[in-house]
Amino acid sequence: MAAAVKVDRLEKTLGSNKVLRGISFEAHSGEIFGLLGPNGAGKTTTLRIICTLLAPDAGSVDVLGFDTRNAPQEVRRRVGVVTAEIGVYPRLSARENISYFAELSGLLDGDLDRRVDAVIARLDMAAFAGQRAESLSSGQKQKVAIARAIVHDPPVLMFDEPTSNLDVLASREIRQFMVESKQRGKCVIFSTHVLHDAERLCDRVTIIHQGRVVADGATADVRRGYQDLEDSFLTLIESAT
Amino acid sequence: MRDVLIVFRKELREILRDRRTLTAIALAVVATPTILFVISQVSVKTATQTYTVGYSGPIPAGLEVLFTATGLKLERVDDPAAAAKGEVDIGLAFSASGVDEYYDPTRQSAQITDIRVQTILGRYDAAKIAATLQEKGVDPSILDPLPLRSHPLSSPTQAASNSFLSFFLPYILITMSLTGGLSAALDTSAGERERKTLESLLLTPAPRGRLLIGKILAVSTISLLAAVASIGSMLIALSQISFGGGGAQGEHVSLSPLAAGVMLWLALLLAASFSSLTIALGTLARNFRQGQAYATPLYFITIFPASIVLFIPDFNPGVAYYLIPILNAVLVLRDAIVHNSIEWSSLSVTSVSLILTGALCFYAALRLFTREALLVRS
Repeated sequence: MAAAVKVDRLEKTLGSNKVLRGISFEAHSGEIFGLLGPNGAGKTTTLRIICTLLAPDAGSVDVLGFDTRNAPQEVRRRVGVVTAEIGVYPRLSARENISYFAELSGLLDGDLDRRVDAVIARLDMAAFAGQRAESLSSGQKQKVAIARAIVHDPPVLMFDEPTSNLDVLASREIRQFMVESKQRGKCVIFSTHVLHDAERLCDRVTIIHQGRVVADGATADVRRGYQDLEDSFLTLIESAT
Repeated sequence: MRDVLIVFRKELREILRDRRTLTAIALAVVATPTILFVISQVSVKTATQTYTVGYSGPIPAGLEVLFTATGLKLERVDDPAAAAKGEVDIGLAFSASGVDEYYDPTRQSAQITDIRVQTILGRYDAAKIAATLQEKGVDPSILDPLPLRSHPLSSPTQAASNSFLSFFLPYILITMSLTGGLSAALDTSAGERERKTLESLLLTPAPRGRLLIGKILAVSTISLLAAVASIGSMLIALSQISFGGGGAQGEHVSLSPLAAGVMLWLALLLAASFSSLTIALGTLARNFRQGQAYATPLYFITIFPASIVLFIPDFNPGVAYYLIPILNAVLVLRDAIVHNSIEWSSLSVTSVSLILTGALCFYAALRLFTREALLVRS
């Protein structure tokens, strides 16, 4: 199967800090791919390079046949990103927030309304879609953040620590959404340090530490011989330090 | 272009729902005529107010009538010097050898009374001398061998009102072009970063330059609206205030069509430049408050150029001075108001200078908005 996202020998220095030291991995359509690592391992920097917010110093990223350096706009059309930051425009309603990003993603009138209605229905947001974002709860804001990331129906979805600011119920909805997206054939990249979630959700994982890949493969293979994924993760990190 | 319009529409919608921006504009629109009304009331009161003169000794015949007619109330006191310290506005001690005047220059009422007393005594002396000369058969006109006949080529009251406008109008135009959109500019730049929406915005396929242009256009629109609304309210207020005598005899301030056209053109250029500049500063800041701190020095550049016109009303510089942004707008607007004419070379140089300034500010904003540190720092 051709990789939806192919990361090849990625290097990046931010200030005086060499964050990535030759990261490589592949993520495929119809799977949840886990990008795991402790805080500061380079997960967010990797995701930011994949979605073209940052440029790599060396190496390359290919998203569905488009190189992030040469065709950044084509890459951004095919990627949706959900982060732990659930910032929304407070003086716009939930629907207006979503429509704004839909318009900027190139959706036009009829198609735009249809897509916005569809994501509102899919994420069960109808009850508060007309409310100003400043009056929404954290869970409702997170739904707005997800809706704006998927409103253009991207084939690649990236989740960067999406549940870190959420309660148990909202976290469960996010996990369900990732599973649904996988079932719809999307390539889901899930960056987290919550290994319990990763073990339950991810088909394959890459563990990075200090900017390097320390383990890569099917989740079952990476945890084989250990009590669970957390045990495997800690052992790998300690041996790499 | 579509991306620019999308951002422009969204930013404008947000700005119009922002109480901070709307309150600032509303306050400016209300405050300007209120201040002008208070100033006019104070000046009318000062001109018509009766002041008290404490005196001792014999008052020369006829002088009492002149004092009363000039709005000075005479009150007999034992010690004029002591009374002038607060009991009355000025103290006069009449004696056979003349008049001793006692007043406290730190009190404005004493200064005004002093001017009135000097005028009255001058006229009284002249009348007494003229009467004495006539009694002796001498023509009193020998005291004025070169009489001056004044022929003003335009209405002195209109000139006074134009002079007033030539200071206030550029000052309000520049101040409101800057402050009218300041809150919106910081909200759309530093605020975007602070509330963590910047990353999502930059993840859209829209090029960053177009996102920035949409933001600048929205802020410029609000700045322009604020400047025009403030000046409009000021002109409406001034049309109700009469200069030079008041009532039907006084003259009302109005802006000529030429001055109005020049003002709108300059407001457009200033709003565009200030919007780019404040968005650039906001992009440097991590949050709204830091953005406000960065923008504070900008207030000085709104006051300094307008002050030049106030303190040096006849400042007529060479065309090179019109290259200096802000000052050039003040000078062109002053010329349009005071002389109701435009030096096209000055206006051209001013326009080119402000357009280049705007372009430079836009370039700075674009560089800041497209750098990686924008996200990494946040």
